[in-house]
Amino acid sequence: MLLKIEKIEVCYGIIPAVRNLSLEVEEGQIVALVGANGAGKSTTLKALAGVLNPRVGKIFYNDKDITQLSAYRRVPIGIALVPEGRQLFSTLSVKENLRLGAYHSNDKEFKERLKEIYSIFPIIEERKNQIAGTLSGGEQQMLAFGRAIISKPKLLLLDEPSLGLAPLIIKEVYKVIDKIRLTGITIVLVEQNIKMAMRIANYMYVLEAGELTIQGEPLKLMKDENIKKAYLG
Amino acid sequence: MIKLNYSNKPNTFTGIWIPFGIGLGFLFIVLGIFNRVLDNYTIHIITVIGIYIMAATSLNLTNGYTGLFSLGHTGFMLIGAYTSVLLTYKVSLRAAYNLPSLPALLGGANYQWPFLPALLMGGVIAAIMAMIVGYPVLRLRGHYLTVASLGFMIIVTTMAKGMKSFTRGASGIQVIPHYTNLWNVYIWVAITIFVLWRILQSAPGRAMLAIRESEVSAQSQGINLMKYKLYAFVSGAFFAGIAGGLYAHFTRSIRPYEFSFSMTFFIVIIPIIGGSRNLFGPALGATLLVAMRYLLKPAEEALGVYGLVELIYAALLVSVMIWRPGGILGRESRAK
Amino acid sequence: MQGASYIYQQIFNGIVLGSIYALLALGMALIYGILGLINFAHGALITIGAFCFYFLLFKLHLPFVLVIILTISLGGFVGFLLEAIGYRKLRGGPGPSLLITSLGIYIFIENAIKLLISPQPYAFFNPPFLNRVINSFITFRVIDIFIIIATIVIMICFALFVKRNKIGMAMRGIAESVETAGLVGINVNQVIAWSFVVASAIAALTGFMWGAKYGQISYDMGFMPGVIAFVAVVIGGIGSIPGAVLGGFLIGLIQIFTVGFLPLGWSVYRDAIVFTLLIIVLLIKPTGILGRKESI
Repeated sequence: MLLKIEKIEVCYGIIPAVRNLSLEVEEGQIVALVGANGAGKSTTLKALAGVLNPRVGKIFYNDKDITQLSAYRRVPIGIALVPEGRQLFSTLSVKENLRLGAYHSNDKEFKERLKEIYSIFPIIEERKNQIAGTLSGGEQQMLAFGRAIISKPKLLLLDEPSLGLAPLIIKEVYKVIDKIRLTGITIVLVEQNIKMAMRIANYMYVLEAGELTIQGEPLKLMKDENIKKAYLG
Repeated sequence: MIKLNYSNKPNTFTGIWIPFGIGLGFLFIVLGIFNRVLDNYTIHIITVIGIYIMAATSLNLTNGYTGLFSLGHTGFMLIGAYTSVLLTYKVSLRAAYNLPSLPALLGGANYQWPFLPALLMGGVIAAIMAMIVGYPVLRLRGHYLTVASLGFMIIVTTMAKGMKSFTRGASGIQVIPHYTNLWNVYIWVAITIFVLWRILQSAPGRAMLAIRESEVSAQSQGINLMKYKLYAFVSGAFFAGIAGGLYAHFTRSIRPYEFSFSMTFFIVIIPIIGGSRNLFGPALGATLLVAMRYLLKPAEEALGVYGLVELIYAALLVSVMIWRPGGILGRESRAK
Repeated sequence: MQGASYIYQQIFNGIVLGSIYALLALGMALIYGILGLINFAHGALITIGAFCFYFLLFKLHLPFVLVIILTISLGGFVGFLLEAIGYRKLRGGPGPSLLITSLGIYIFIENAIKLLISPQPYAFFNPPFLNRVINSFITFRVIDIFIIIATIVIMICFALFVKRNKIGMAMRGIAESVETAGLVGINVNQVIAWSFVVASAIAALTGFMWGAKYGQISYDMGFMPGVIAFVAVVIGGIGSIPGAVLGGFLIGLIQIFTVGFLPLGWSVYRDAIVFTLLIIVLLIKPTGILGRKESI
C-alpha cells in the first residue's frame, strides 16, 4: 500500500473541512476524489502534499508516518502536487519553473530529467525560454505537470487538472495523465468533472461536506442510481 | 488609574463629564501631593514624563488606533516648538540672539506673545502643516507612508537647520522663557487624553478603528478613507505641536537635531511598549521609559557605558514585538 | 564652478557614491522582494563591516585580502543570525511589526557598538595603495576605482547567481509566491537565510568602502546610508532589483550635485532633497521608475 490515510480531520481555522476521512491508494493506481464544490477534495490533497496539516489522524506513505512532515520535504521522498490553478511561477521562464521543480537535483541530473520532460511534452521544449505567465491555459497545465514529474515522484497529486480549460484541451490533458500513469507513477486525482475522472480512475472516493460517502470502482458506481442522479445528471 | 471601557459609557453628561471631572480632580490631588512632597528634580522628571505622555498619546491616535505607521511626529513637535518660541521670545533679547522681530501683523517689534496663545498657535500651525502634508502622504500605503513620513521629518529638521535667519540654524534657540510647569503640562495631558477618548467614542473614531483593521473593508462600508485618516493625522499633529511648545518652554533650549531620529524612535516605541490599543498605554510607556532614562543616564556617565539606555530600549522593543506585541497593557495573544 | 572637468569630476564622484548606495539598495531590494520587509538593520551591517575591517587590518595587521574575506563572512554570518533570531518568528505578521522590529534591531546594534567599542569616531586609515591619488582629467584615488570595479563585479555575479543558480532562482520564486515555492520542494527557510547572508555580506563590504572613502567610522555611520538604500529601492521601483540599483546611482549623483553645483548654503539640504524626490516619485509613480508588481 503506497498511501494510507487514517481518519484525518483537516480544519480551516476552526471550521473542519474534512472529517473522519480514511482512504487507501495502491501503487500504480489512479484514484479519484470526486464531489461537489467545497466537499473537501482539495483540502484532502493539500493535506497529502503537506500544505495543510490534519488536526487529527495520520497519513502513511510507504508505511512511514508523514502526517506532520513539511511540504518541501515531501518532494524528495516522491510526493508531488499539481495545485489547483496550476500555481506556476508566472514571472519565471518555462525552463526555470522546471528547474525549481527539480530543486533537489543537481545541475547534471536536471539536464537529463529535462530531456525526458521535453520528450513527453514537446510543446514545452518549444517554449522553454518563454515566461510562464504568457503561455496558454493548456500549455500552462502541461508545464505544471512537467514541473511536478520532473522530480520523479512516486505519488502524483492532481488538483482539478481540467479547471478552466476548454473541452478539447481537457482531452489532451487526460491523455497526458494516462501517459504519466503508464510510467508507473501512482496518481491521486481530484476532479469536479466526474465523467472524465470515471473514465481514467481505477478507484473512486466520493466526498460530501467533508466526509466520505461512497467509494468503489467507477463501473460499479456508474450503475448506482443515487450517484447517477446526484452527479451525472 | 481609572480604566475606561469604551463600549459601556453612554454619550451623556454623566457618561462623559463625571468621569472626566473625577479623573481631573484625582489628578490634581495627586499633583498637589507631589508638589508638596517631592523635590524639584523629581518634579522635573514628572513634568518631562507629562510632555512625553502628550507626544506619545497624540502619536498613538495616528499609529495605534488608525494603523498609519507615521515616523514624522517629531516634525510637528518641532514646528510647534519653534512657532511658540518665536512668538514668545523676549523682545529685549531678540536682537542679541539674531532672532527676527515679530511682523506688524503678529504684534510688531515690541511685542512678545503670552504663553497660551503662542502654544495654541504652535498647535494650529502644526495642524495646518499636517493637513497640507497629509493629503498626498496619507494616500500611500503601509511602508511607503512610513518612509514618506520619515522624509517629512527629515525635511522639516533640515529646513530648521537651513533657515538660519529664522531659526538660528543648527545652533538652535536658547534662553527660552520658562513657562512650562507641572500643572500646565498635566492640564494639557488631561485635555489630550480626554479629546482622544471622545474621538474614539464617536463616529470618526470608529471609522479610524475600522481603517486600521482593514482599509478595504472600511471603504466598502462607505467610509471615506482620506477624510478620517486626515482627521487622525491632523488631530495628532495639533497635540504634537502643543507638546513641542511645552517641551521648548521647559528645556529652555531647542535645536533641530533634538527632534530628529532619537526623539522619533523614543516616542514611537512608547505606545508600543506601553500598549497601543489602550488610552493609557502611552502614559504607562512614557512613565516607564522616561524614568528609566533618568535612572540610567547617570550610570552611563559614571561607568562610561554610553548607549546603554538606548540599548535597553531597543531590547525592550524587540522583546515586546516578539512576545507581547500588544504592549504591556495589551492582550496576551499574538493575534490582534 | 566652471569647466567641463569640474562637471566630469562631480559625475565621477556621484558614480562612486552611487555605487555604494546601489550595492546597499541591491541587498535591501533582495530582502524586501522576498520578505516584504524594510530591513532597517541593513544599515547596522555597514557599521559592523567597517569596524570589523578596522580591527582586523589596523589592530591585527592581517593581510588586506584576508581582511576583506573575513569582513564579508562576518557580515553574512550576522545577517544569518538576524534572520534566524529576529525576523523568522515575525514572518507573515502585520507589516508595521517587522518594520519596527528591524528599527529596534538597528538601534540595538548601533548602541551596542557605541557601548562596546566607542562613542567617538575612529579615523580610518587606508592601506597606502588605496590612497594613491591620480591626477588626470579628473582627480581620484585608487579606492574610488576599487569601489566602482567591486560594484560592477558584484552586480554581475549577483545577476548570474539569480539567473543560473538554483538558489538564486528559488529566491525569485519565493519573491513571487512563498506557498508555491514550498510546494515544489524548495526549503524556503534556507533560501531566505541565504538571501540575508548575501545581502548582509555585501552591506558589510560597503562599510569598508564607506570608511575608506570618508576616512572615518563611527557607531552611527550606517543609519543614513541604510535609510537612503531603502529610498533608492522605492524610487527605482519596488520589485525590481535593477531599479534599486538605478535608484542608488541616482541618489548618489543627486547628493553630489547638490553639494557640487548648488550654492554653499544648500549643502545642508543634501538629505532633504533626496526625500523630497522620494515623495515626488511616490506621488507621481508610486511603483517607482522601473517598478512593476507589488509584493504585498
